[in-house]
Amino acid sequence: MIHQGEITAPLLDVRNLRTEFATDGGTVRAVDDASFSIMPGERIAVVGESGSGKSAMAMSILRLLVYPGRVVAGDVLLEGTNIAQLSERQLNQLRGRSVGTVFQDPMSSLDPVMRISKQMTAPIMRNLGMNYKEAHAEAVEWLRKVGIPDPERRITAFPFEMSGGMRQRVMIAMALSCRPKLLIADEPTTALDVTIQAQIVEILKKLTSEANTAMMFITHDLGLVARLADKVAVMYAGRIVEFATVEEIFAAPCHPYTQSLLRTIPSPTALNTSRLPQIPGLPPDMKKAIQGCAFRERCRAATDICAREAPALTDRGASHVAACWQPEGLGSSPIDAQPDRALRRNDGPFRDRVIVEINNLNKHFVSSSFLSRTKRNVIRAVNGVSLRVRQGETLGIVGESGCGKSTLARLLLGLEKPSSGEIFTEGLTQMVFQDPASSFNPKMRIRSIIEEPLLVKRKGDWRTRQARVEELVKLVGLDEAHLDRFPGQLSGGQLQRIAVARALALEPSVVVADEPTSALDVSVRAQIINLLADLKQELGVAFVFISHDLLTVQYISDRIAVMYLGEVVEYGPADLVFNSPSHPYTKALIDAVPIPDPAREAKRASAVLKGELPSPLSEISGCTFATRCPLATEQCRTEKPKLRQHRKSREAACHYAK
Amino acid sequence: MLAYSLKKLLQLVVTTIGVVMLVFFAMRLIPGDAAAAMAGDTLSGAALERLRDQMGLNDPLLVQFWNFVRGLLVLDFGRTLTTNLPVSDLIRSAAPITLLIAIATIILAIAIAIPLGTVAAFMAHKGHKTLDNLITGLAMIIDLMPSFWTALVFLLIFSLTLGWFPASGPISWDDPYSIVMRLALPILVLSLSQVAILARMTRTAVLEVLSEDYVRTARAMGWSELRVLFRHALKNAALPIVTVVGLSFGNLLNGTIIVEAIFTIPGVGTVLINGINSRDYQLVQVLMIFYALLFVFINFATDILYRALDPRVKF
Amino acid sequence: MSNTAITPPERADITRFFPVKTVMALRRNRFLSNSKMIGALLILAPLGLLILCAPLLPLQAPLQTNLMAMMQPPSLEHPFGTDRMGRDIFSRTLEGVKISLQVGLSVAALALVVGMLLGTLAGFFGGLIDRAIMVIVDIFMAFPSLLLAIGLIAVMGTGLVPVVMAIAIADIPRFIRLQRSLVLGLRTRAYIDAARTVHASQFWLMSRHIVPNSLAPMLVAASISAANAILVEASLSFLGLGIMPPAPSLGNLIREGQLYMEQAWWISTLPGVVILLIAISFHFLSDGMRQALDPRSRK
Repeated sequence: MIHQGEITAPLLDVRNLRTEFATDGGTVRAVDDASFSIMPGERIAVVGESGSGKSAMAMSILRLLVYPGRVVAGDVLLEGTNIAQLSERQLNQLRGRSVGTVFQDPMSSLDPVMRISKQMTAPIMRNLGMNYKEAHAEAVEWLRKVGIPDPERRITAFPFEMSGGMRQRVMIAMALSCRPKLLIADEPTTALDVTIQAQIVEILKKLTSEANTAMMFITHDLGLVARLADKVAVMYAGRIVEFATVEEIFAAPCHPYTQSLLRTIPSPTALNTSRLPQIPGLPPDMKKAIQGCAFRERCRAATDICAREAPALTDRGASHVAACWQPEGLGSSPIDAQPDRALRRNDGPFRDRVIVEINNLNKHFVSSSFLSRTKRNVIRAVNGVSLRVRQGETLGIVGESGCGKSTLARLLLGLEKPSSGEIFTEGLTQMVFQDPASSFNPKMRIRSIIEEPLLVKRKGDWRTRQARVEELVKLVGLDEAHLDRFPGQLSGGQLQRIAVARALALEPSVVVADEPTSALDVSVRAQIINLLADLKQELGVAFVFISHDLLTVQYISDRIAVMYLGEVVEYGPADLVFNSPSHPYTKALIDAVPIPDPAREAKRASAVLKGELPSPLSEISGCTFATRCPLATEQCRTEKPKLRQHRKSREAACHYAK
Repeated sequence: MLAYSLKKLLQLVVTTIGVVMLVFFAMRLIPGDAAAAMAGDTLSGAALERLRDQMGLNDPLLVQFWNFVRGLLVLDFGRTLTTNLPVSDLIRSAAPITLLIAIATIILAIAIAIPLGTVAAFMAHKGHKTLDNLITGLAMIIDLMPSFWTALVFLLIFSLTLGWFPASGPISWDDPYSIVMRLALPILVLSLSQVAILARMTRTAVLEVLSEDYVRTARAMGWSELRVLFRHALKNAALPIVTVVGLSFGNLLNGTIIVEAIFTIPGVGTVLINGINSRDYQLVQVLMIFYALLFVFINFATDILYRALDPRVKF
Repeated sequence: MSNTAITPPERADITRFFPVKTVMALRRNRFLSNSKMIGALLILAPLGLLILCAPLLPLQAPLQTNLMAMMQPPSLEHPFGTDRMGRDIFSRTLEGVKISLQVGLSVAALALVVGMLLGTLAGFFGGLIDRAIMVIVDIFMAFPSLLLAIGLIAVMGTGLVPVVMAIAIADIPRFIRLQRSLVLGLRTRAYIDAARTVHASQFWLMSRHIVPNSLAPMLVAASISAANAILVEASLSFLGLGIMPPAPSLGNLIREGQLYMEQAWWISTLPGVVILLIAISFHFLSDGMRQALDPRSRK
């Protein structure tokens, strides 16, 4: 259908693939009538939210689905051979040798009780007919190629002796070592930090183009798509709704879902003065049969025909297909009925009134071994942090995992006691947690959950408390019908709204939100971001927004603090920090963030930050970032830079910040 | 590893001291005292007082405790009240039989249960529910059959009706045939429930491992189902199985007491029940400690074995 | 009952006694829509009914001897046969079931209450309390459970109350461990943190969040414990260390029949089948509860 004008035959040709999962609630059609093809050496990205069927589709190709999932219909042709009809033995010949696979979670994808050497050499010996010595040398070579330092020694390690990034490198080396023609990578960087993600993506790009290996890259991150894909398949509710070259997808998307998705991502270039466009509603319940177009209930362009019949993929250009009845999709109409309200920065009368002041805060976790009480391990989770939060502003705290941002949040809330230093707060501090599933007592109704803070503080009688609960639930955009449900009956996005309502119950002056959107689907994230922005404006409450997602933090925050290994390395107004970073780490972090714009991605330098986060146990005398910093000098390694003001309203902890 | 072993060893010592103290002081809680309980209504006044003196019950409590501990340390457990034999001799002749039953049962049970549990897990993983349901259902029923009842039914069928094994008779170490014939049924009965427990646990452990990501990785690398099962799944499932074998040893010891009673086998359990029936509390307390230490030691050993098998735990 | 008009006629009779809504609610009820739970009820309900109605049935009283009908095989008059003294095994078995259920439920209740209390204290407060409780738990768990019960019986004597106490004491350490591990898991949940940020008291956290959320798995464990207690009581009575004759506990019945295995197989075997059935039903109960209370299956 889309390989017109191409001379070579496709490497992989998937035709009308249909995959189902039998669950208690009914049959879930995870993949419905999916057809696409991959040319040799081509890089295809499959994008979609959780539950869109993108992983199930990848697993179906190699028949790796386990019970209760199964492929119901369709053909998968790999170089003309129909995988669907192979015997188990023939299939095993193909797996690993013709198609390599890299999975999402590197922590659990390698056998924990087997050394790397054994896990790597066995497939090489089998597929390339080498003896052990040759296979071992080959494995070491591959580890070197994927950027593992000292591969001769590291190959004898067990997986648990490596970091997540290193393990993912091993997975890639393992998958590529048998020289497959196709590499299937199922969200290979989702579990990794952004700087490590950038390294892994570079390696994948480099190694696959060197060997002309085709790649099917599954992701939910449109930025990554722009960075590495030639073509993009967009999935929604089990169907491929749009398939085109990466340039066309970003420049001229045709399907309303693709169009909406692209608009909900905070753009690093725009001035962020307007509200983030949001897709209304939720993805459909896959357990129920879907009549018509699955996206129609969230689509402003939907008409009668969308409800009656599901659209098929139709040509929209030379190599561009989309499944939508409307020729233009949404066209230029907004994706949401809500008017674009102006998003005001913090410029109210109180903006200089400091309500939280943190002075030289330290939190050290000490663990001692059983045999020697003197040999103590100290983890400096938060190390000499000083910060201020002003009334009604949003302070964004960014950093990679292990930088101490969550510990800082717990200190702010009084859930941990500081080792030293002081926190002064005016008024109450409340919290919105990362994981909506564990934020609520599953045995309590939503009504009691929101009421709990009022009850603990003995605020008012039953009647006034109920009135307050109803007021709060409306404030976060839900209605009273939700109050009598249990947390298990609400979606992640709704639960985060409830979490906000609970946090606001006692009229706090500061709400700390620790990664409030990272457990949510892309299309729902914008709703929560907008809610927080609205509340800040309406109630004048200050937010501390903690996240690893730079684009979101930059979008929502007035000021940003960048953390690295327990220390604040840069602090200043959001736009300035993002557009002209002073600290090399901030710059590296921003460079590593994939931007959903293929033209810009192509122009960006691929100079990614080298190395990994040093062990939190190691004693560093100089600058904590010196081990990875491209600019580090002797002074950086011996003398610790202090966070100092170097420009108007901007602070950085670097000797060379100007 | 060394640090861990030492820590576990320290725990073992603390538990042992606790066990000895618990048993000793619990026996002093007997209404009246051990002498009165033993004598029942047969003795009175001066005679009872003489018995107390003889048993050391008139010494201060701490002196009694010290004598008891010293006896345990030098393996001098005193003499039985009814037959006046050294308790250590009694244990020396009874313990090997009980241990033989226990060890044979464990070996037999492991040999049957692990393949059975693995097959059930494999079938469940593949969605073939029938065989899995059959194995797990049977395992549950067997596990819940009261062991003394199973033993009686076996006795009825295999000894009394079919006459394959003798229901009673002497056990002599010089006559291996007599040992085999007399111990076969008790071992069979005991291994039934052990197989049931171990097979269910093996099934759970293997089933869990089979859904791990690294098993999927191995499949994606093109390894056959059997290789995946043996090289990856069983190797990882071995860790929890080792722990379960250790814990189910307690169950096994419970079982030996019962089968020894039914098949009239002169093991430690029989000595214990006789001791309780003749109210020989000094004998009973020594045997309680014997069982507890055996169980504690087995768990210590499996704990260390577990750590040795798992490369993730190294110090 | 606003929808009588659309009720099909054949359902009308049922709905006279059970309104449609109730019937529908029962079918949707997560306990009764569960096959394991129904299995347990199918065994326990008739058994309970039989015990309650035993005095009304044309059965010989459990302790009444009849020298005219000794060692009779099962018949219509004596469904489980008679023993050496001509006592009716069936009515004795029913009496034994009563004792078994008493033991099982009392032990489960005792172990649940004490286990939850001490386990919560150990898990929630940690530190010295935790260590003290866990050392004692370790000491008790050093004994195989039946052996510990035997030892305790040796100290406390035989009879219903000592038997219940002995089995419960042997079982409590397991409950403490389970509750402690549940509390340790729950203690780090975000909703506990949320309550702590508004300075909820320790008692509030325990009573509102910890205990309600650990109750379900503890009830599942209690159900298994009841089955286990019934088996242990039977074993103790069989060894002559439990409920003493002439009270007809199931273990006693089997012990008495042991001597006559060759002549009268029914004396020992049939009560054994009943023990097995009760144990299975309690296990079904626990499996059913596990399924019904699993938050993943609730929607």
